[in-house]
Amino acid sequence: MTGAAPRDISKMKVNRKSVWMRLIDQRYLMLMSVPMLLYVLLFNYYPLWGWRYAFQNLDISTIKEGAAWIGLGNFEWLFQEELFWFGFRNTLAMSLINLVFGTASSILLAILLNEVSNRTFKRTVQTVTYLPHFLSMVIVVGMAQNMFASDGPVNSLLLSMGIIKTPVWWLGDGRYFWWLVGVINVWKEVGWNSIIYISTMTSIDPTLYEAAAIDGAGRFQRILNVTLPGIKSTFVVLLIMNIGHLMEAGFEIQYLLGNKQVFDYSQTLDVFVMEFGIQNNKYGRAISAGMFKSVVGIILLFLANFVAKKLDEETLL
Amino acid sequence: MRKLLAVLLTLAMVFSFAGFAVAEEEVITVTVFRGDPGDQPTDDNKMYKLIEEEFGIKFEIEFLAGDLDETLGTKLAGEDYPDLFDGGNSAEKLINAGALINLLDYINETDTPNLWNHIKDILPQIVNEKGELFIIPNYGINYNAQIQNACNGPAFFVQKQVLAWADYPQIKTLNEYFDLIEDFIAANPTDENGAAYEGFAILCEDWRHFCLINPVQHLMGRPNDGEVIVNVNTGNWETETFIDKPYAKAYYEKLNEAYNNGLINPDTFVMTYDQYIAKLSSGTVLGMFDQTWDFGTATAALETAGMYENTYCALPLVYDEEYGYGVISEQYLNGAVPNKDRGFGISVKCEYPERMIQLFEGLLSDKWQKLLQWGIEGEDYYVEGDRMLMTAEQYANRQDAAWKMQNAALTIWESAPKKQGTQDDGNAWAHSDQGENYFNLMSDYDKAFLSAYGYKKPADFFNAPCELAPYGEAWQIDKSPIQDDYDKFLLIQDQWLPKIIMSADQAELDENWDAFVAEITPYAEIYTEFMQAEVLKLVELATK
Amino acid sequence: MTEIIAKKRKKHRKVMMFPIVNTIVLVLLMFLTLYPVLNTVAISFNDGIDAVRGGIGLWPREFSVEAYNSLLSDKLTYNAFGISVARTVITTLLNIFLTSMLAFALSRKEYVLRKPITFIVVMTMYVNAGLIPNFLLIQKTLNLSKTFWVYIVPTMFSCFNMIVIRTYIIGLPEALAESARIDGANDLRIFWQIIFPLCMPVLATVALFVAVGSWNQWFDTQLYNGSKKNLYSLQYLLKMKLATSMNTTNAANTSVDALASTSASKSTPITVRCAITVVSALPILVVYPFLQRYFVTGMVLGGVKG
Repeated sequence: MTGAAPRDISKMKVNRKSVWMRLIDQRYLMLMSVPMLLYVLLFNYYPLWGWRYAFQNLDISTIKEGAAWIGLGNFEWLFQEELFWFGFRNTLAMSLINLVFGTASSILLAILLNEVSNRTFKRTVQTVTYLPHFLSMVIVVGMAQNMFASDGPVNSLLLSMGIIKTPVWWLGDGRYFWWLVGVINVWKEVGWNSIIYISTMTSIDPTLYEAAAIDGAGRFQRILNVTLPGIKSTFVVLLIMNIGHLMEAGFEIQYLLGNKQVFDYSQTLDVFVMEFGIQNNKYGRAISAGMFKSVVGIILLFLANFVAKKLDEETLL
Repeated sequence: MRKLLAVLLTLAMVFSFAGFAVAEEEVITVTVFRGDPGDQPTDDNKMYKLIEEEFGIKFEIEFLAGDLDETLGTKLAGEDYPDLFDGGNSAEKLINAGALINLLDYINETDTPNLWNHIKDILPQIVNEKGELFIIPNYGINYNAQIQNACNGPAFFVQKQVLAWADYPQIKTLNEYFDLIEDFIAANPTDENGAAYEGFAILCEDWRHFCLINPVQHLMGRPNDGEVIVNVNTGNWETETFIDKPYAKAYYEKLNEAYNNGLINPDTFVMTYDQYIAKLSSGTVLGMFDQTWDFGTATAALETAGMYENTYCALPLVYDEEYGYGVISEQYLNGAVPNKDRGFGISVKCEYPERMIQLFEGLLSDKWQKLLQWGIEGEDYYVEGDRMLMTAEQYANRQDAAWKMQNAALTIWESAPKKQGTQDDGNAWAHSDQGENYFNLMSDYDKAFLSAYGYKKPADFFNAPCELAPYGEAWQIDKSPIQDDYDKFLLIQDQWLPKIIMSADQAELDENWDAFVAEITPYAEIYTEFMQAEVLKLVELATK
Repeated sequence: MTEIIAKKRKKHRKVMMFPIVNTIVLVLLMFLTLYPVLNTVAISFNDGIDAVRGGIGLWPREFSVEAYNSLLSDKLTYNAFGISVARTVITTLLNIFLTSMLAFALSRKEYVLRKPITFIVVMTMYVNAGLIPNFLLIQKTLNLSKTFWVYIVPTMFSCFNMIVIRTYIIGLPEALAESARIDGANDLRIFWQIIFPLCMPVLATVALFVAVGSWNQWFDTQLYNGSKKNLYSLQYLLKMKLATSMNTTNAANTSVDALASTSASKSTPITVRCAITVVSALPILVVYPFLQRYFVTGMVLGGVKG
């Protein structure tokens, strides 16, 4: 197949025939893959056909007799809707907070763990910090509501330390919401996200550390000059991937933790779609918002991939 | 003679039809959704057993859990309709989505005389523009004389112990009210168990945010028109929103003062309805603005626990004269108004609409109304002479949530059409309206409380009901034609009013208020224009 | 000279200091991680009315198992537990089998359709139609709502996991499959008898991912089965309790669980909520430490390649 075969007609025929023959030979591989292909087509591609509703006035009253085409009407409405732009802003803000603090905290944890010489202690820390990753968001939000209640432990602690004079209304003040989500996400995922950095660090050539030690580098210099460069490529790849997922700020945590008071800050595009699509049954408008989000997401992903290629790191596709 | 014959014939027909239905058709299970939280009746509930015996109908009830609009939206999206569909405060959604059948296709004078008599007089008020009726009002249809022992609607509430502590003062104005609560809490910061008192609670959840946004109209001396004040004196029915007016600011300034004095807990603005009810039931909330029916479960829980001093007294407050709006005369009580579009509708997915109609028809009979509202004679009440009476225990049972789960068909009673007012023989339709029961079986605490004021009934705190305006009560107007703007109009209030109340000082409050007014004005204008037109339409309809 | 000594001493102290500081920081981190969890456990074992007063730390103040009693006397809890177990087990088994099957097919370099199918499948990681179109598909087109299968059918396959497994299979020695092929085994047999057993380490990882996802899912219940009490999952039940009884402060509550044992029930919504949190978190928390070795490898395989 791959050889530089002469391009004469008879050869092509043979080739084409051999493809069919090979397909027959590979009937078991087809049996194992084609049904799954159909499954993917149904559950991942067929819904894209639903995007046509973004250009129709589909809602609860028109869904039965069939909606009419209204061109870009839904998008016009969308781009004038303040709540949509709030959702867009909140999505990006919470994504970025998550990205910066999530990455920084997990690298920091990885470095600290990398410096631990006692294996049992290291394993214990790891096991404990993985734990929140396995809790459902419902549980995590429930705990957060306990911790951050006006009379909860966080306020008690801050009051007793004299950092604040009156209890802070963490759950009802929009200004705190993004940061609250950031803190909760870090708490939940810091251990889990550090896994990849830890494993990268363990693959750093130990002679590099020895060489640095001989050069008289202290611990911090070794971290600075050996560990950090060692995880640089992993860091860049993950960073780029995460930039590609900037539109995915999450749904569950904002939906569960949000309330009317913090609505302007809690609502992400996913929550917006839920509110307008499911709650108000304005399917056309909700789909246009979802489509906007997906398209921006795809653009970001391809941009990220393009940048990654340019940087000569591993490609993502 | 012929008239009598006709009546007999109709009766015979109805009964034979009902008998036929039960004899021939098997027992069906009807799915029910109720747009309010509630408790599942027990399997051996005696009232549901009786219904099953007579109508051959069993119920599978789903109560609201979580957000109403989201729940209804999900059901509508999936066409996941129960047979009997009570959409609670968002029932317009069901109607506009075409989820309910037109009841007038089934209700007429001959087949369903009870239902027909029930609605015939108010039909113009409750049908839509096409003359269709999807929901029979679950409340507000009175027979004979309306009975009003207590305020069942909006009022400012305060725990009776607070009034008792201050030696039963007459509290008529907003300032008096907050001064009283402040004094009480200064003298009694916690209850006997050491739980801190909360001065004033404001329920803001979902559509129940009326506790936050409605009070101003009442402080200005008007009954409940929702989010507008209608001028009923000029004959032009000028309609205006009040929340963006300076006279509304005064109220939120007062709340801000209360907040900064520690009377209001900020958590109140994110409290769910269940949390609110739980809080009231614990007896630690001293006051709130609400409507009596909205916290009935809390009152019942307090009474069952014997915490009468923690139950609430309704007060019709107005602005003090010093606010500069003159001496305002309170008008909280209004004439009876049918609860338009609230109650059971029959969904288009229901396989047996006729039997549902026959169920409502049957339940509206005198026999069943007594069963639903009073219970079984000799068991839940007794008759002396021709008066229907209850023993103290029977009356107490009626307040006991656990007892009701076993012995009352609460959901059916609440959502189905019912008779209110007075029976032909002079007894009240509702056991709680019956004078003897109300006064004789009132707790000793309540008796002493009322007599300290020299009153016979809680409604004596109020001026007599005014005549219902020709447009009814403006909150009933369906806003779906301007739904998006209306939602915005409400959302801006939901978001700004708490901020205003929680302002640190007057300067911040002024700033917040101005920002609020600037933001809400365009929506208030759209809303005002819409409501003005609707009010005029209704007035015209009523005067035709 | 003295300067140099001073410097050295300083450096020496630094070296000694670091492990101590590091240990303290990590212990503090463990404490912060565990505190909310242990606090929940403590409240769940506390007397209900006492718990309302707040201020419970890591140990119950007035020990009581009433919250668990009231939870376990509710038929709905058992049912939801059963539903959660069933959906998790069935989804995991099906997903593992189907995903690894496709991963195997797409790992064979000679497979003619490898590239197009891989492309189509991998693209799904980039393109997502969104909530409403998916909702319409499941609700209207497939009519899966109000059935148990809505928990299973949409989650039978995952692209990310497929890539993880495929990477693993490619890393296996080619000779194994080759010798079996020479013995006349077809691809189905090669997959099932040789590759599948060899993949156990990575499959354990993927199974954990899938099981955790399925067990922790509540949104599908809300969206599709909200009116079907007998199809509630444990997480959804918990979500409902969260919505209805956060911070409640009384014993005279009107909720069913409080009324179930009206005679001086010692459980309150706050303790019941914590108890159901414990019950719904326990199964996974018991399992995951034993799979730690596997999922670390799995994360590394999927993390960079994915």
